[in-house]
Amino acid sequence: MNIEEYISSGILESYVLNELPLAERLEVEQMADVHAEVREEIEKIEASIEALAFRSSVQPPASIKETILQKIEGKNTPVINIDRKESAVSALKYAAAASILLALASGIAAFNYFTKWKSAEGRLADLVAQNQQFADNYNKVNQQLDNIQEAVGIMNNAAYTRVVMEGTDNSPNSLATIYWNQNTQDVFLSIQNLKELSQDQQYQLWAIIDGKPVDAGVFDPDNSTFLVQMKSIRSGAAAFAVTIEPRGGSENPSLETMQVLGNT
Amino acid sequence: MSQKNYQIDQDQLVAELKAKKPEAMSYLYDNYSGAIFGAILRIVGEESIAEEVLQDAFMKFWNKIDQYDSSKGRFFTWMINISRNLSIDRLRSKELKKAGKTDDIRDYVTGITDSNSSDQQTDAIGVKELMKDLRDEEKFILEMVYFKGYSQSEIAKEFNIPLGTVKTRLRMALKNMRKVLKLE
Repeated sequence: MNIEEYISSGILESYVLNELPLAERLEVEQMADVHAEVREEIEKIEASIEALAFRSSVQPPASIKETILQKIEGKNTPVINIDRKESAVSALKYAAAASILLALASGIAAFNYFTKWKSAEGRLADLVAQNQQFADNYNKVNQQLDNIQEAVGIMNNAAYTRVVMEGTDNSPNSLATIYWNQNTQDVFLSIQNLKELSQDQQYQLWAIIDGKPVDAGVFDPDNSTFLVQMKSIRSGAAAFAVTIEPRGGSENPSLETMQVLGNT
Repeated sequence: MSQKNYQIDQDQLVAELKAKKPEAMSYLYDNYSGAIFGAILRIVGEESIAEEVLQDAFMKFWNKIDQYDSSKGRFFTWMINISRNLSIDRLRSKELKKAGKTDDIRDYVTGITDSNSSDQQTDAIGVKELMKDLRDEEKFILEMVYFKGYSQSEIAKEFNIPLGTVKTRLRMALKNMRKVLKLE
């Protein structure tokens, strides 16, 4: 992903203002871990907001501070009231009872927190996994988009000669297209329709130059890539053809297996 | 106290707050209550309510300090977000929101800065000055978010501006302010 675009989308401001849903928040935190510029930008945004708050300070009434401090000090120092007239024995009894109660209570609390922690941990792991999956999907789609863009660029480029290879009698429905740039010698293959092959077979592309077949590389009938780059072919090819060969390709084409053929 | 000292102090301050030291709370109040109170007051509008929210906010800082994680951002960001949320909750619960928000925003921005120039931050540059280089539309978004407690999606909905536009304007507003703040 383009970091500058990510930053300028304003997502980091939303993050600092705590306006993002959990999934996006985690995403920002991941980005900040990986990219120093994201981390720095977040710090700058935080500093701006902090500075803005200080520049627009309003002094509250002094009485509030007293109220707050009283509240917290009250909470912090528990009132202990020990009756000194009681005998040492009954004090011990109380102490024993209290410690048992305390042990019980902390045991329950510990279990309770452990359960909560476990469930929180489980949910976090789910979210992290989900997040990872989102990121993977995104990358996959992005990659595909790149492929399509590249393919469209080639298909629209006048420097490329387009050679349609039509199905032979072996396989009348087969169809594939070659985009061939005679200056750069680049050859790209686009598969419209080729049948599945067994594991030990592969398709092989041939260029026919001066009546002789020249190997242009092997490929699998995989439709997920839009254009497959094949071996370079110098100008002078009169035709392109595809045969079925043992996996890895052959030195000479098995002409009887020819699937498609097209003249340049 | 300069801006730089704050940063060093923030870590130490957080540690002492986590240790539940009342002196840390006193220090926190002395140094941050003005900035926090200003933010609360501008959202809730009424001073008596703002004072209650300020108390709630500081009690929350004290009670929830263990939830603050310094790896997720500055301590001040954590505090200001808690304060904003409390302010907005209070507005909603009292149904003051509409009344508060229809007031002319300019009263708050200019009024407050002009009458309160003697805060902790003795710097003479006020909010008005900070915003002087912003374009009107950037100023508007910043005021709604920062001074009125709107979320960006609320602004988008209420003023019929695409959310993406709201986001980029807020971003430009904060970014342009950095120059005046000498952050870059």
